[in-house]
Amino acid sequence: MVHLTEETFSELLDGGRVAGAEDHLADCPVCHGELEGLRRLRSELRELPELEAPPQQWEEIAARLPYGRRPWLRGQLRVAAQVAAMAAVFVIGLGLGSMFRSSEPAGEASLPQVVADQPPASSLPDAMADVQRLSAQYNAALANLERLAQQDGTPVPSLAEHRLASLNALVEASRTALSAEPADPVLNAYLFAALEQREEVLRQMGAQPGTRRPGVMWR
Amino acid sequence: MVELTEAVLVRRACEGELEAMRQLYERHSSRVYTVVRRLAGDDDLAADLAQDAWANAFQKIRAFRGDAAFGTWVHRIAVNTALTRLRQQARRRDLEQSFDGSGTLGNPDRWPASGAADRVMVQRALDKLPEGYRAVLWLHDVEGYTHEEIGAQLGIAVGTSKSQLSKARAKMRSLMEQSKSAEVVDHGASN
Repeated sequence: MVHLTEETFSELLDGGRVAGAEDHLADCPVCHGELEGLRRLRSELRELPELEAPPQQWEEIAARLPYGRRPWLRGQLRVAAQVAAMAAVFVIGLGLGSMFRSSEPAGEASLPQVVADQPPASSLPDAMADVQRLSAQYNAALANLERLAQQDGTPVPSLAEHRLASLNALVEASRTALSAEPADPVLNAYLFAALEQREEVLRQMGAQPGTRRPGVMWR
Repeated sequence: MVELTEAVLVRRACEGELEAMRQLYERHSSRVYTVVRRLAGDDDLAADLAQDAWANAFQKIRAFRGDAAFGTWVHRIAVNTALTRLRQQARRRDLEQSFDGSGTLGNPDRWPASGAADRVMVQRALDKLPEGYRAVLWLHDVEGYTHEEIGAQLGIAVGTSKSQLSKARAKMRSLMEQSKSAEVVDHGASN
């Protein structure tokens, strides 16, 4: 008796139909057994267990990755950069506002010089230094604007609104960073400080007669 | 510790966060290692291939669009990495010479105890197949690739893929029968 070929077995195993094969299988225990053996083998292949990766493999992979950084440092750097950028924008805004409003010669306004196209900080200490420098400039600009406002009799509430918008932006930046690193103590400190300051500004605005207390501006 | 969703881990990995990459690796390392190990036929090559696959995956993770699960995506990269390397190396083994019991067992330490002997026998037979046979057999019978997909992956005709599959199945059967016979002889000798 001529047995089925390996191509025919393979075709049958995949559910194909081969003329005369079924009749042959019914009469030939050898081929019938071979087909069953192939089916069993395929099942055994599919049931092979998953293997554990070799130990220390992650360390070897990580060593090949050029851009991994510690996540907490990334989070802090990100928020510090955001704060620095925001402070820069705010200082510029205050400076321009005071120039438009001031009737004094520009020299007497002594506005801080802000370099808008300064390269971004490449490390956390650099970013924090930027924040401190810009905060000092912000305070100087704020004091200057308050002085100018008192001189020309313009009500201060618009100044508070500027400040509130800035603090809202700071809260937003802190929350964005915290969504990635919820437990980071530095980021939480940023958020709490911003919320505290914002609450203080809102209290001041609410206490001033004729001042419209804004609703939720950012979230 | 809060367990992050895979989508969050992928987003963080896209930003270059090493810890997120590590967690993705932990979740899928077995799956990746297993498929490259099956295709490679030995432990050392499999370890190299798994490293390459993960490095490739993390280097191109920004191209991951989330159409499929991350595990599916990285599994596909692992298969591609393995097949590319195997094609490049064009390694060929001498079946008759190597099927003497000295070949790799796929590190038995990492095999479950239950049914281990039978599975080791299957793995050993798989390892002894010629590389092309093993790749076609595994991709078709286990991974579910079509002959068209296999042809495209391996750079062979569909007919060649079918032919290799039937030969691979027959060879596996033959190797398994030999192995079982040898086991019977061994047991008989030790009694």
